Amino acid sequence: MLRSLTAGIVLAFAGSRANVARTILSCAGIVVGVGALIMVVTASDFGQRFATAYSEANAGRPATLQVSVFGQITDRAAFEEDLVRAGGQDVSVYHTPSGAPQIRSGGSVVPDVQFLGVDPSLGDIRRMNMAEGRWLTEADTGSLAPVMVVNQPLADALGDLTQVQVGTDQWLDVRVVGVLESSALDLGWYSAYLLRSPASEDLLFGSSSDTGGEEGDPFAMPGSQTTYQVRIDPQDPAAQDPWGEVFTGRLASASWRWGIEDPESISAYRADYAEEVDRIIDYMSWGLMGIAVITLATGLLGVLNVGLVTVRERRRELATYRALGASRSTLFVAVVMEAVVVSLVAGVIALAGCWAAVVAGGMVLERFVPLPDGVPLNIPASGVLVGLGSAALVGLLAGIIPATRALRASVVAGLRE
Amino acid sequence: MSVDTAAPGAATSRPGSAPLLDVREVTRHFTVSGTRIDVLHDCTFQVERGEVVAIVGQSGSGKSTLLNLLGLLDRPSGGTYTFDGVDTTRLGEGPRSRLRGEGVGFVFQQFHLLERRTALANVGVPMVLGGVPLLRRRARARALLEAVGLEHRLHSQPHQLSGGEQQRVALARALSREPALILADEPTGALDAASSTMIMEQLLEQARIRDAAVVVVTHDPKVAARADRVVELVEGRTR
Repeated sequence: MLRSLTAGIVLAFAGSRANVARTILSCAGIVVGVGALIMVVTASDFGQRFATAYSEANAGRPATLQVSVFGQITDRAAFEEDLVRAGGQDVSVYHTPSGAPQIRSGGSVVPDVQFLGVDPSLGDIRRMNMAEGRWLTEADTGSLAPVMVVNQPLADALGDLTQVQVGTDQWLDVRVVGVLESSALDLGWYSAYLLRSPASEDLLFGSSSDTGGEEGDPFAMPGSQTTYQVRIDPQDPAAQDPWGEVFTGRLASASWRWGIEDPESISAYRADYAEEVDRIIDYMSWGLMGIAVITLATGLLGVLNVGLVTVRERRRELATYRALGASRSTLFVAVVMEAVVVSLVAGVIALAGCWAAVVAGGMVLERFVPLPDGVPLNIPASGVLVGLGSAALVGLLAGIIPATRALRASVVAGLRE
Repeated sequence: MSVDTAAPGAATSRPGSAPLLDVREVTRHFTVSGTRIDVLHDCTFQVERGEVVAIVGQSGSGKSTLLNLLGLLDRPSGGTYTFDGVDTTRLGEGPRSRLRGEGVGFVFQQFHLLERRTALANVGVPMVLGGVPLLRRRARARALLEAVGLEHRLHSQPHQLSGGEQQRVALARALSREPALILADEPTGALDAASSTMIMEQLLEQARIRDAAVVVVTHDPKVAARADRVVELVEGRTR
């Protein structure tokens, strides 16, 4: 049996090499179909990785909720404690200063900067790819100067990061401890992440007298909005609720502890959207994959047709093989393997073409949009497997009928031709 | 050049034992459109190892049918056919193919070389089927082609060869697994007189070297005259 298989494969390779024109003609349909499949898998994989990276960098890792309270929170510590009790694993304030601070380095002010007051735990909630330095730590909260991380475009605009100052009425020296990598994920906005600490309280929340709240409580802002980002366990039932009603329900039961009487003042929603985008990409991929499979099926019919015609034309050759000692199983394997070899050759050609297209596409894309870490544009292993696997499967299917016919042919009649 | 010419599974000569071929009361009939056509009737004869037997007869006398039976390409309708001590009438398809590959070498009137393959590759095909490793296969094919005087045509394809050269490639291919029996169906039928003489000389010489029996179907009295024995077929019966 093994000898039959080996001999069949050797004869198949020799047959494919000897009939180059037939091989190439049979390939054409498969190349298009397999190429389409590989490109769909590649685009889908790239889209999903990009969506995941984008979502994790801008909205949070899976199961991140954005929780807002409209009204005056009287006890921030109790509120944060309840966020953890309600299921929060990582909790970070997520506050846009109302005072519209400005930023400068060496005298030149950079306009239109988006400031966000955050905690170090935001680094666990979101994907933070550092180009330089590091993300904020708990130790930074003890710093006498405000501590911040800026993104690459802002760092480039500022120039010297050792002389950065921030202020509204007066300028304060700040320590820039890290620069976030510039990528397609931040779309070039100037962003500054200011660590919530005693040194930055005034900058972020203004003086307590300005806010009109309780003394020393920066969150006591009448009519203001308090926002946090909270990452919960993805298996938590609250994570399955995109509108956050489960989570707000948990918070509402204890809202009296932090001075909120109207439960409607609490809102939450699922901030990360990678799963949603993945789902949409999946639907699109299945649709495109269907088209690719139809193309591949057309290619299969081409190989099948060529196989049937050649088996008819090759009766004498196949009979000669039998006369020389080829068993039926050897001949069956040889004919099937010829179709598989043809299809695999087509698969390899399609793969090479797709690879060239992806490399060229990646080079063009890189000129316009810097791709983030972990999101390179390349053909994934699954694309290679799907491409070559489908090519082999098509060859197998296209080879079986001609092989069965080859077995039925009379050896004696074949030798007379 | 010294080359190992012993092929794995090749039939070995056993002087003094049973005949290589033992054909007893073999019949063969076909049914065409409901009509039975008897082609062979009670054919009986033996062929010893190393013996050269010519089968002669008029067209339609059943020569080719008999050759197909001897070459295990067809099965008799009745009687028994024993090849090298094996009753072939009871063999399944797989063992018959194996026995055919190991024990029988064919030389056809129309050569039946594989197109778009070199002479070397053509001679190698039976060895591929016999599982001979690549390097050994190439060396043996080269040696066999040298033995039939085609050392300068190793990489030529059939359409680049003359009729005589093609038949010599076919002869080399038939010898590639050291068969105990060489079946030649009108081996000189498509050749001119000079090529015919050369082919017959080489066929008989190579068979003698290997102690292989030769059964040759021919119309040509000159070819028949070179056989040790002549079996005449008249209307499907041996004489």
